[in-house]
Amino acid sequence: MNAFFNIIKSFPRYLWSGWGAIASIFLFIALWEFGHQIYGDLILPAPKETFLRLVNMLLHEGMWQEMQITIRRALWGFFISALLGSALGLLAGLFATASMMSRPIVTILMGMPPIAWIVLAMIWFGMGDTTVIFTVVVASFPIVFIGALQGTRTLENNLKEMADSFQTPALMKITDIYFPHVFSYVFPAWIAALGMSWKIVVMAELLSTSDGLGAALAVTRGQLDTAGALALVMMLVGSLLLIEYLLMEPIKREVEQWRD
Amino acid sequence: MTSKHNKSGTKHYDAYPEGEVSPLLAYAFRPLFILLPAYIALSILVWGLVWSGQLPLFTENILAWHIYEMMFGVASAGIIGFILTAVPELYDDVKPVVGKTVLAITALWLVGRIAFWMIDWLGVYVVALTNLPLLIWVTALVAKPIFLDPLRRNISLALTFISIILIQAWFFAAMAGWVDTDFIKILKVALGAFMVLELLALRRINTEAINEWLEQHHIDDTFIARPPRYNIAILCVTLFTIVEFIIPDNAILGWLGLAAAAAILNTLNDFFIDEATIFFRSYILPLFLILILMALGYGFMGFAYLSDNIHSITHFRHFLTTGVFGLSFLMVMVIVGTIHTGRSLQTNRWIDFSVILIIIATLLRSLIPFVPEYTTWFYLSSSIIWAIPFIIYLILFYPFLSQPRADGLLG
Repeated sequence: MNAFFNIIKSFPRYLWSGWGAIASIFLFIALWEFGHQIYGDLILPAPKETFLRLVNMLLHEGMWQEMQITIRRALWGFFISALLGSALGLLAGLFATASMMSRPIVTILMGMPPIAWIVLAMIWFGMGDTTVIFTVVVASFPIVFIGALQGTRTLENNLKEMADSFQTPALMKITDIYFPHVFSYVFPAWIAALGMSWKIVVMAELLSTSDGLGAALAVTRGQLDTAGALALVMMLVGSLLLIEYLLMEPIKREVEQWRD
Repeated sequence: MTSKHNKSGTKHYDAYPEGEVSPLLAYAFRPLFILLPAYIALSILVWGLVWSGQLPLFTENILAWHIYEMMFGVASAGIIGFILTAVPELYDDVKPVVGKTVLAITALWLVGRIAFWMIDWLGVYVVALTNLPLLIWVTALVAKPIFLDPLRRNISLALTFISIILIQAWFFAAMAGWVDTDFIKILKVALGAFMVLELLALRRINTEAINEWLEQHHIDDTFIARPPRYNIAILCVTLFTIVEFIIPDNAILGWLGLAAAAAILNTLNDFFIDEATIFFRSYILPLFLILILMALGYGFMGFAYLSDNIHSITHFRHFLTTGVFGLSFLMVMVIVGTIHTGRSLQTNRWIDFSVILIIIATLLRSLIPFVPEYTTWFYLSSSIIWAIPFIIYLILFYPFLSQPRADGLLG
């Protein structure tokens, strides 16, 4: 609860620190505008047109619903892989044998291209939600699993011994020693997995569904609608940025304060 | 001797020249900061009256007169007063400029002003010859310690200052017809260079002034103006200035303007310190507001470029001139005029009031595009409201500037 209040309290200051990132993004858009003026509308539409197109898509072309569908799929996939990956990773980390056995399997999962999973999932589950969510889970699971595994494997025995010799209560040991350490491995893995989910969901949708932003992207390709395609990309990147920087990053800062 | 160093702004008194000097010429800022506010008030009132049609034109190119005088007439005096005070403070064994040299610099500045007012009779060459030597001379006076400094702390300031001199020469070359550039465009480049100079100077002034304030109030924290933040802002302002010169009225400027605004707002992150909330304190709030006004200027200009409101840009640019220039010169004159006359900074309602007036004048002048039906009224009222703080300054500070230091030290 205390941590929650701290996050809220330092939020304005955190929010203000975003201006630096916003400045870089605007510089990048200026470069985009320059590219537009050189290559023209078909190759690279003007940023302003793209933004207007984006607003129009959200307000009038029903893209808001498509976006919700995509985000729902991405989040489902992310939650399942975060839950499974963290639980199994922590468990595997506790036993040397389990971690030894799981490593090659995780390497296989990591090495398998997501596009291959999509093909398999389409054969197994047909066209629809399950295929997309399955692909997302399979692609993000290994990232979280490895993070959790590393977190438990690297717990320091010295600290445990010290806690034991001071007869620290079990709950305190968990909240003050194990949790901060493991969390500092698991949380970045979650963020990486979240980014992965966002990328995979579009790819899966583009190939295997008729709704969602991925499917809309396929339509823009068919119509050579570059502005539309860029607007869709912006929706995806924008939603990911919002979730990551408004939600994940403040939590990470608060929980990782002990590192300073 | 050590007791002298306990007080801020007294480091240079070890190197202060011997002999009797009139208090008025004991430091370059003394005569300049008496003449400057008077000149600001006079020239802005004349401009307001001419532009709103109450007074006849006294020179053919009244717009060039207004822009040039506000930058090279007003800003250069403010900067000269500031630099000639700061350099002896920053570097050991630099003799402060006093006496006859101060008189000569002040006289040259004044001659330059009179000459530009009479440019139609005197011709470009005479005006250029009376204007150009001033900043070159001042550079020559302070260049040695800055460039010989092994740490190279203030090279960026010096180089920006030199680029401003080159832009001034370029302006006169254009007026004389040597180069084929629209001189209003050159003055826009000059404004960009002045904004870079502002950012470089503010980084140093903020660090000095706010840490001084923290110490005075026994707050155990340090204010750090982080250079990378200022560097991003300087990069954005420079890009905006160059692109505006090369490809004017281009949509790229819209995004660069917004980038500059965001980068300038980013520098304000420095003001968040752990031990205290310092935004709303006298002497700190104006420093904070200078950066806010600069961000608003670039933000509004960027917005205007993107929404194809090209005609509003000249109005929005006044956030940088009426706002940033007005507020920063007032604050520099107040801080230097207080500390370097042997006094300590105290809350003063008249100065708070002056800051508010400058903000009001800036909003009136810059936001004219939103109320086109009151254009003339806004021109005139903003000029008058902008002049008042400088008249207040003159009344408040004339006794400080014309009399010996309150603590009995020389200078």
